Amino acid sequence: MIKIKDLEKIYRTEEVETIALNKLSMEVKEGEFVAVMGPSGCGKSTLLNILGLLDDSDNGSFVFNGVEVTKFNERKRAEMRKHNIGFVFQSFNLIDELTVYENVELPLIYTGVKTPDRKAKVEAVLDKMKIMHRRNHYPQQLSGGQQQRVAVARAVVNNPKLILADEPTGNLDSSNGNEVMELLTDLNEQGTTIVMVTHSEHDAKFSHRIIRMLDGQTVTENILV
Amino acid sequence: MLKSYFITAWRYLTRHKTYSIINVAGLSIGLACAMLILLYVKDEVSFDKFHKNVNNVYRIVTLSKFNGTYHKDGNTGFLQGPRFAKNVPGIQSYVRVQSGAADLQNGQEIQSQDLLYVDSSFFSVFTFPLLGGNASTCLTEPHSIVLSEDAAIKHFGKTDVVGKTMMLKEDSLFVPFKVTAVAKKCPQNSSIQFEVLLPFRESEMDAKNTDNWFNFFLNTFVVLNPNAKLQTVENQMQAFYVRDASKAYKAMVEKYLNGYDEGMGTYFLQPFTDMHMSTELPSQNGLQNASNPMYSYILSGIALFILLIACINFVNLTIARSLKRAKEIGVRKVIGSNRKQLIFQFLGESFLLCFIAFAMALFLVELILPVFNNLSNKALSFSYLFDAKLTGTYLALFLVTGLLAGFYPALVLSGYKPVETLYSRFNLAGKNYLQKSLVVLQFALASFLIIATLTIYSQFNFLTKTDLGFDDRNIVEVRKPGLKFHEAETFKAELLKNPNIVDVAPKNDGFWGTAAKISNDSVMQFAYETVDESYLPALKIQLVQGRNFSKSNPSDATNSVLVNEAFVKKAGWKNPIGETVNFYYLDNEKYQVIGVVKDYHFVALNQKIGPQLFTMKPSNNLGLFNIKIKPGSETESLRFIQAKFKEFFPLSPYSYIFKNEQRIKDYESEAKWKQIIFFGAVLTIFISCIGLFGLSVLSAEKRTKEIGIRKVLGASVSNVVATLSKDFLMLVSIALIIAIPIAWLATDKWLQNYPYRISLNWWLFAVACILVLLIALVTVSFQAVKAAIDNPVKSLRTE
Repeated sequence: MIKIKDLEKIYRTEEVETIALNKLSMEVKEGEFVAVMGPSGCGKSTLLNILGLLDDSDNGSFVFNGVEVTKFNERKRAEMRKHNIGFVFQSFNLIDELTVYENVELPLIYTGVKTPDRKAKVEAVLDKMKIMHRRNHYPQQLSGGQQQRVAVARAVVNNPKLILADEPTGNLDSSNGNEVMELLTDLNEQGTTIVMVTHSEHDAKFSHRIIRMLDGQTVTENILV
Repeated sequence: MLKSYFITAWRYLTRHKTYSIINVAGLSIGLACAMLILLYVKDEVSFDKFHKNVNNVYRIVTLSKFNGTYHKDGNTGFLQGPRFAKNVPGIQSYVRVQSGAADLQNGQEIQSQDLLYVDSSFFSVFTFPLLGGNASTCLTEPHSIVLSEDAAIKHFGKTDVVGKTMMLKEDSLFVPFKVTAVAKKCPQNSSIQFEVLLPFRESEMDAKNTDNWFNFFLNTFVVLNPNAKLQTVENQMQAFYVRDASKAYKAMVEKYLNGYDEGMGTYFLQPFTDMHMSTELPSQNGLQNASNPMYSYILSGIALFILLIACINFVNLTIARSLKRAKEIGVRKVIGSNRKQLIFQFLGESFLLCFIAFAMALFLVELILPVFNNLSNKALSFSYLFDAKLTGTYLALFLVTGLLAGFYPALVLSGYKPVETLYSRFNLAGKNYLQKSLVVLQFALASFLIIATLTIYSQFNFLTKTDLGFDDRNIVEVRKPGLKFHEAETFKAELLKNPNIVDVAPKNDGFWGTAAKISNDSVMQFAYETVDESYLPALKIQLVQGRNFSKSNPSDATNSVLVNEAFVKKAGWKNPIGETVNFYYLDNEKYQVIGVVKDYHFVALNQKIGPQLFTMKPSNNLGLFNIKIKPGSETESLRFIQAKFKEFFPLSPYSYIFKNEQRIKDYESEAKWKQIIFFGAVLTIFISCIGLFGLSVLSAEKRTKEIGIRKVLGASVSNVVATLSKDFLMLVSIALIIAIPIAWLATDKWLQNYPYRISLNWWLFAVACILVLLIALVTVSFQAVKAAIDNPVKSLRTE
């Protein structure tokens, strides 16, 4: 599903040049659950953003679903993104002015799903995430674990092929964290590919494979399954 | 999709109520203000344009030289209309309009009624629709009377009164006049306003006497042939005038001007529609609502400025708040929104906000209109606003404001990469030089207006409170024009029988002026007052030399005059007592100066005290009684005066005014300005504060992290508030530095219009500075305190 070769990303300010990704190559197969680990500043988040088509790379090739996407413009990226990729963030990133239901509904609106279908889909996913009873609440009225469940619900409501998770348990206590990890595992078992950036060895154990990064390069890969 | 946008927008607005209210209120006030002033200006510009034939209607005016200076005059007399119309081919018809008043009997009641004497062509020249009667014949019979709708209701209680009779005083008898027509109420944007019209009257002698070329006391309007060329008509008028009036002119110069010929003067035509806002040739002498275009300019200036600033502030504040939503934009993009959808969403939102502001502005206009009408002396109507051009302007304004306010979030923020907004990596705008200079500009204007307001208030206070050189307290003025000296004295003696009446000083009614020769052969102009010996003591006017008129000196009436200090100075007399004043045009009547009166303000303070002369000449008429009463006896004295007046003059209308109230009336135009500038200042301050508030929100947002760090390092709340407020107070100080010299120059220039004025004081500027700084401080600290008491952990954790 994902094939990356010699990918480079350099952040430049007037004085300093920071190499975030240094000729990085990797591959993720369909149905895999991959954890990316490494110290702060090693380039994990940059990698995730590039995988999610939120950021572009400076050099190298990125083939997504058999398509070379490095030269895609903003519009094409958005198109690719909304049909194929779901995101889960450490800080949840829910929209404060929208209710749980409306937050989860939003991706469906953007992909142009008709209202009755939307209702069925949102309700199904809320049910699955066990937050149906909170459907009319606003994000601030929920606990961190609940908020992250909403975020996961929003990420999967469109049935994306790939879920990118950026430290999904970083703002949660261990029991809530475990719940989220179990959700992700379930999704993976149903066929969704997952790439997750994490600091937690515990969370990483849920994955099939751990990619360890340092200074913008992969250093080792541990196969767990 | 639309619903989702709408929901977000609405929830966003209601969740941040303060921001939404301030933002929307600022824009709607600015808009309302602009709409009101647009109404005002539109009304001003539309003045007199409702007459069907108005483009061919002109007023006959003159340019003549007197005492070496040229001046223009809108007045004419008996002859100009008929003679020009007869002898200049381009002139189709004419109408003379002369203001007057008549006493009107209504049962037992005698009322004085203001009216216009007009030629029978009146309704063919001007478009005043009739409710009843025949427009072409209603003014042909000498004893016809035309009423306005209002007058008909006032006198008869209804409007279908054609054929009814009214009693009007003619000479000294009440005679019946037949109502021949009732006209609709004059539009408020008309220079001609009437309640009653009477047919114009001139004797056959008047119409024949060529001397009447030089009597100017009414307005003459002519209708030009549509094909006539203005220049040609004017040339023909002048040529005819020279032919017809030369002989009479020469005789007049010999008789009155001592042979000093300054030329016959020039006739020309003023377009009827130019009259309303002309300062040189204003609507006067029975024509109403003369206006100074200055009002329109200044008001338009203020309105445009307020509107512009309100729009800019609206845009600024909307942008400032939209920065908070950068995260939302990022999230939406991640979830799958494309840029077009975001642009649509944010533009839609700003248009929604803008729409609310516009709707509120209309509501505000409706609400404020009565107050504004009162202030501007107009009867503007809301419906004026719904004209195609204006609606177009509003629509354009709406689009531009909405577009600009939505522009930044829609086009700039949506262009950021989602990663940047999601991780707060992007930099909120640059140094904001534009916004900062706008704040400086706004506060400079606000400071300017505050200083102007304070100056006008002080000057107004000075005008109404300063010592006039006479005592105007407890003096009742009662009018009865045209009394002979002995009649006035009898009435006076009767009034003095009441112990509550302290003194009675009759004088001539209105301002008289004349000219006489002093010493050698030089002619001098002066105010000419006919009084009796009570005048100076009753009003406590001081005498600096010589003596007052005296009853015991019967020759005072025929031989003596008093003059004021200004007269002595102008005449250049060393020893005024005993000098001679020669009324050369009255067969050289000569008077001796027996006393010099200390200068007092016999005209309003906006005019300099000029030469003034007092006489007791028995053949002059008296018409105004200054009745001094005991303090506290107002009710009884007034009742007594009225009773005696009715007894003595049963056929004359009675009215009174306290002399010190008259003084307030003299300064109505200043009072009006005072209010307008005051409102302008308040609005500008309010709008400026919104601008400042917007900038402080933006800045606090930008510096959240800095504030967090400062607090972690030990800064107290007041430290943080000071840090945040400092920069803004700096901006406001710059504004003050710009405003003070300009305000100094402008107010000083304005004060130069008044010969008697306050001197500009440093405290006035100090008060303005303190006021402006205080207002700014309160505005800024609102946001600064909020930022300062926020938990630093929260602001730092956003990384």
